[in-house]
Amino acid sequence: MKIVLTYVALLVLLVGAVALALLVGHGSLADPTLRSILLGLRATRVGAALLAGAALATGGAVVQGVFRDPLVSPSILGTTAGASLGGQLAMLALVSGSPLSSLAVSREMMLPLGCLLGAGLSLAIVLTFCRERTGTLTLILTGFILSSLFLALSSFITSLAQDSWDMSRAVVSFTLGGVGGVSTRQLLAALPLLGIGMFACWLWSDNLDLLLSGEDEASSLGVEVGRARRWAVTWVAVLAAAAIAVGGNVGFVGLIVPHTLRPLVGVRHRRLIPACALLGGAFLVACDVIARVFPSRSELPLGVITGIIGAPVFLVLLARSQREVSHG
Amino acid sequence: MADRACIEAGGLTVRRGSHVLLDQVSFSLGGNQVVALLGPNGAGKSTLLKTLAGLLPFWGELQFDGRAASQFDRKERARLVAYVPQHSALDAALPVRDVVAHGRFAYRDVWGRPDRHDNAAIDRAMGLTDTRRLADRSFNRLSYGERRLVLLARALATEARVLLLDEPTAALDVTHALGLLHLLRDLASRGALVMVALHQLNEAAQASDRALLLAGGRLVAAGPAAEVISAEPVRQVYGVEIVPAAQFGYRLPAEKDTAP
Repeated sequence: MKIVLTYVALLVLLVGAVALALLVGHGSLADPTLRSILLGLRATRVGAALLAGAALATGGAVVQGVFRDPLVSPSILGTTAGASLGGQLAMLALVSGSPLSSLAVSREMMLPLGCLLGAGLSLAIVLTFCRERTGTLTLILTGFILSSLFLALSSFITSLAQDSWDMSRAVVSFTLGGVGGVSTRQLLAALPLLGIGMFACWLWSDNLDLLLSGEDEASSLGVEVGRARRWAVTWVAVLAAAAIAVGGNVGFVGLIVPHTLRPLVGVRHRRLIPACALLGGAFLVACDVIARVFPSRSELPLGVITGIIGAPVFLVLLARSQREVSHG
Repeated sequence: MADRACIEAGGLTVRRGSHVLLDQVSFSLGGNQVVALLGPNGAGKSTLLKTLAGLLPFWGELQFDGRAASQFDRKERARLVAYVPQHSALDAALPVRDVVAHGRFAYRDVWGRPDRHDNAAIDRAMGLTDTRRLADRSFNRLSYGERRLVLLARALATEARVLLLDEPTAALDVTHALGLLHLLRDLASRGALVMVALHQLNEAAQASDRALLLAGGRLVAAGPAAEVISAEPVRQVYGVEIVPAAQFGYRLPAEKDTAP
């Protein structure tokens, strides 16, 4: 009953957030000539925020299951930074004159593809260095080092992009995170990644549940552990790529959403994953509304808002986990 | 569990780096029996159980029911061999029934929906281990002893014919420890091969048909439990003397002479 009520509440929350996002923002919907244009623009933003939030929250739940650690997320592990770097490289490659710009890949697909490669690379590095019994601290440090490396490379790309005003603006906006400039075609290009990634993660739920018992026990119960981990990480990379491609670098969603939901829907991934998608989507749509209505000279980047909310929540979770360890 | 289970190991050797954990261990075991795995700390009992469960790479030969262990895929092996570790890594807030249901993973398809047979196997396993009363409780809120019983239920839910248990009576109160040993005998009488690593020689003498005595990774003695748990092998391996008559003992009362 509690689970059904939670799902109903999540659906209500999502519908409320979407309605609010469509109604609130610059420009008046009372003007009939502007109404359809404004609603169209806002619908694309809402779609992008929904997609990015759902993908990041689901990826967080999966990566926490794979590493058996509730304090990891795609952003903590450097995956989002990797995807972001991949996205920036793709943007750079699209600049006219680059040899890659003549590749037989559509412009809309270049960004998700770059994000996918970047996310996959970072998770592969984390998996190589952090095996099952790796402690949280090592995981977080590895993620921190990777994030730092990718951010340094991102800064280098940003400096390269300064030659062109448009390119520079696009790269900075992408790095800070935001769904403002997303086109419908970009959204449609990322949508299959979300669909495939989420469905695959849901299908692998039982494997993820058994991995909570550790590699040895999961293996003795019939799980092909290496295969399960590799595929799970692949789907997380796919989800992170979809999210970053439409939302830029947005952190902490994958950390705080699964945490909020576990006490309500339990730790079984078959129930947790759909709930994460709903709340993650609603959360990012709500953050985007804040970004739009916050009184400032220009629109606040989405990543700044999720960071301001997510960082203190993460510190609270870290403190609580330290307390649990010290109290046995 | 009507078929006879059988393990044949020939020259089983396990190494970690240059350290030899198991050294040329050979034995042959049929079903319908409880086999005690004995030896002091570091003798290789857990290593042997993990190797049989397919969790460690090894040199030598290992066969189940006449088939090489390497010919079984992971799920096939899980349906034949169940393993209960000494220390479980599971510490999640999963309901106990869901943990026991993990024992049915090897029978499920990609959609993972339990069928009637799965539910019956889960109910039976929980009944045998006295864990039905814990069904809705969160696994991470259980005592260590209760967790051990739930993990045993998970292993029983696999309906595997070979059961490997690593010190299952550790942390159990006397009632549950005696009940568990009784349950193992009952499972063996129904055709299972139960291999159980034990530290208490009196428990092993009471509960097992055969015994394998390990020391320093080598098999020192193997045979009927009464022969292996006798003065000379015990003195040689443990350096202690067996006292023939204990000052006091305990058993389950006649009306409670069933599983806990």
